Amino acid sequence: MLVSWNTMPTSIPKENGSVADIQFESPVIIVDPAAACGSVTLTDESSMTKASVRAADDTAAASALGLAFGSAEHRGDVFVARIRPDEWMVFGAADMVVAMIAELDLGGYASTVDITHSRLMFRVTGGEAAKAMEKVCSLDFSDHMAPNGSCAGASVAKVGCDVIRDDIVGADGATIRSYRILCDRSFGQYLFDALVDAKAEFG
Amino acid sequence: MLLVPCPNCGPRNATDMNYRGEAHSRPDPDAATKEEWRTYLYLRDNPSGWLRENWYCSSGCRRHFQLERHTLTGELRNPPLPGRKTAGA
Repeated sequence: MLVSWNTMPTSIPKENGSVADIQFESPVIIVDPAAACGSVTLTDESSMTKASVRAADDTAAASALGLAFGSAEHRGDVFVARIRPDEWMVFGAADMVVAMIAELDLGGYASTVDITHSRLMFRVTGGEAAKAMEKVCSLDFSDHMAPNGSCAGASVAKVGCDVIRDDIVGADGATIRSYRILCDRSFGQYLFDALVDAKAEFG
Repeated sequence: MLLVPCPNCGPRNATDMNYRGEAHSRPDPDAATKEEWRTYLYLRDNPSGWLRENWYCSSGCRRHFQLERHTLTGELRNPPLPGRKTAGA
């Protein structure tokens, strides 16, 4: 069920994933569409459904989600990242994310929040993506420090972000370096502009 | 750039961290004298040498942790294991 702005409920039910099927419109305005193209591309993937799971080490939810702190992986159509020692993020199609969250046993110190509308997600892709990121972030983006499937909280252009390396496979079958960046919605336009500026020299 | 060794995230830029001051034990509020409480609140050791400090990894794992800093050389190290308060503790 898609809910338009006119019919959006004024109060959001608390059941897991219940707002996931509300149609999402990114607040980011891309002034110059050409700026988002080139050898380093910047795309806005904010509409993807995102959920956060906080769980203590000894909970069933933590065991079910697994992963070492600072790593991420694809599980079918869903992407799971352990972004902090006690926090996981789950991305993907709404029904798949809702299904995964619904299966979690949230006993003990465990909780889940739909962050689809509170967090934006950008993707920086291209052979020079690491160089572009290094201009705005102090993380070490070399392959041995940040291989594919690694993630970290970091400051990107002075905005508190979560950075996840998730390489993609290009049309010719070659692997292309790619990073997902999540930030609070209110910083989205600023961060997008900062990333466009950072990648400008790489085309 | 000052590299701060977070026990979870590894060495990170100090701008990703918050300095939370010298680490010292808090006296029991019910038993402490006013003198002890004043010392706890306002007085610092300020040694010339190794000093144990509290830090907060605000951009990374968002955990508090302790490390030791040499106030003369600026060298940073994680405390030795006995009594070590790791981020996961």
